[in-house]
Amino acid sequence: MLEVKDLVVTYGGITALHGISLKLQKGQIVSIVGANGAGKSTTINSISGMVSPKSGKILLDNESLITKPRKIVNRGVVQVPEGRRIFPSISVYENLILGAYRIKSKKQTEKSLEKVYSWFPILKERGNQGGGTLSGGEQQMLAIGRALMSEPKILLLDEPSLGLAPLIVLEIFELLQKLNNEGLTILLVEQNARKALSISDYAYVMETGRIVAEGEGRLIMDDPVVKRAYLGGTE
Amino acid sequence: MNMDFILQQILNGVSLGGVYALEAVGFGIIFNILKFSNFSHGAVLTICAYIGFFISTHIVSQMIPALVITAVLGGFIAVLLEKLVFRPIRIKKRPLTYFFVTSITVMMIVQKTFSALWGRYYFPYPEMMKSAVTSFGELVVSKIYLMMLAITAIVLLGLTIFLKKTKMGIAIRAASSDSWAPALMGVDTDFIISLTFFIAGILAGITGFFLGMTYTVTPFIGELMLKGIIAAIIGGMGSLGGGVIAGILLGITESIIVAKVGASVTPILIYLSIFVLLLVRPQGISGKLYAVKA
Repeated sequence: MLEVKDLVVTYGGITALHGISLKLQKGQIVSIVGANGAGKSTTINSISGMVSPKSGKILLDNESLITKPRKIVNRGVVQVPEGRRIFPSISVYENLILGAYRIKSKKQTEKSLEKVYSWFPILKERGNQGGGTLSGGEQQMLAIGRALMSEPKILLLDEPSLGLAPLIVLEIFELLQKLNNEGLTILLVEQNARKALSISDYAYVMETGRIVAEGEGRLIMDDPVVKRAYLGGTE
Repeated sequence: MNMDFILQQILNGVSLGGVYALEAVGFGIIFNILKFSNFSHGAVLTICAYIGFFISTHIVSQMIPALVITAVLGGFIAVLLEKLVFRPIRIKKRPLTYFFVTSITVMMIVQKTFSALWGRYYFPYPEMMKSAVTSFGELVVSKIYLMMLAITAIVLLGLTIFLKKTKMGIAIRAASSDSWAPALMGVDTDFIISLTFFIAGILAGITGFFLGMTYTVTPFIGELMLKGIIAAIIGGMGSLGGGVIAGILLGITESIIVAKVGASVTPILIYLSIFVLLLVRPQGISGKLYAVKA
């Protein structure tokens, strides 16, 4: 469904990605794990069009996806950014409405809204509050809900567990699994490798702009190198 | 001070304050999204004061159509400035000082050009109302001021509805706290910024027309925008509503002080009180602090 081929990204003179390749099949949860600065966010930002690659290909259903961010949203690929990026200056409801920016039909916007409210009843309750008044976990739910408003085919998540309490992280990951069961394809970038790998069909391990290991989520978890580097020594 | 005197000054002040409110919103809406003090707003205002004169003397002499044409042209001039001058700075990710200095430069170029070309001439707007005043009991009100007040109210109400109820309006407000993330929702940020300049330009056009109509059109008319900036600061940068309230309060205060102690001392008193106000309440009337939780 989504394919990244030999992607190279540079910032100024510094190479952030040295030709990485990865694949995402329909209905899968795929994760990219690795330390801070490994190039995970750069990868996800390239797919959503926020960073322009120097060379390489990004293909969605065999058609190039290297274009403007809004056209990528139109094609059903939507990113939940690192740090949530909730708009504090507008209400929770307005944050969600903005998520449906590309949807012209009012009816469809209403339908998406109902659906998102059914996933996250708390967002309906907090509808009129400012986006900045929510707790960290609620903000993450809002960020995901906002992305779901445009009814994406592929959801890209950049560090959804960052800064959240373990219980909330658990909740978010359960939710991602539920969304996946409903047919949403998910690409997950995480420093919390153990958590990410436990729900992933397939995973890539990144280190300084390169993919150093890949495989099925549970197999990667048992890889001794990965275990030592990212999962801590012992279980 | 008797009651009639105060009421009279409040009436005058509200009309004058309405113009400051328009300036404050035009200035504030750009500040919110790009975080710089846009002095080129005064340039658009100046150009529009002249355009308004030209249109109302040579094309249509009725106030409303002349005003609408001037306002729309003001919008396009502001968009042109954004595309030619500010966008290149934004794309190169220059520091905010570049925007600020450039906007002052634009203001100076316009001021000096108009001074050189038409500084010697006098440009009176045509008489747009048959009788200049109307009275309510003891109160005498300039009709043109009432008209200005009504138009100001309609424009600000319309703008509020646009910003609150449309997706584009919501995108403008969202972009004022984070200009990177809206693109992830499919928002065309370049377009949103141009649209914001268009709105500011419309407001500059209306203000230019109003000031041209009530004062004399001079190349320095754009400097009257300073009151709008003050209103925006008192209102609390980032709060358009606060700017409107502050603009009107400023207008009323100014009218009362002018009537009591005279026009020459008034600016000194006004600036001093602003100084004190900002010492006491640096965030302005309705300034809020937002926090994004990690």
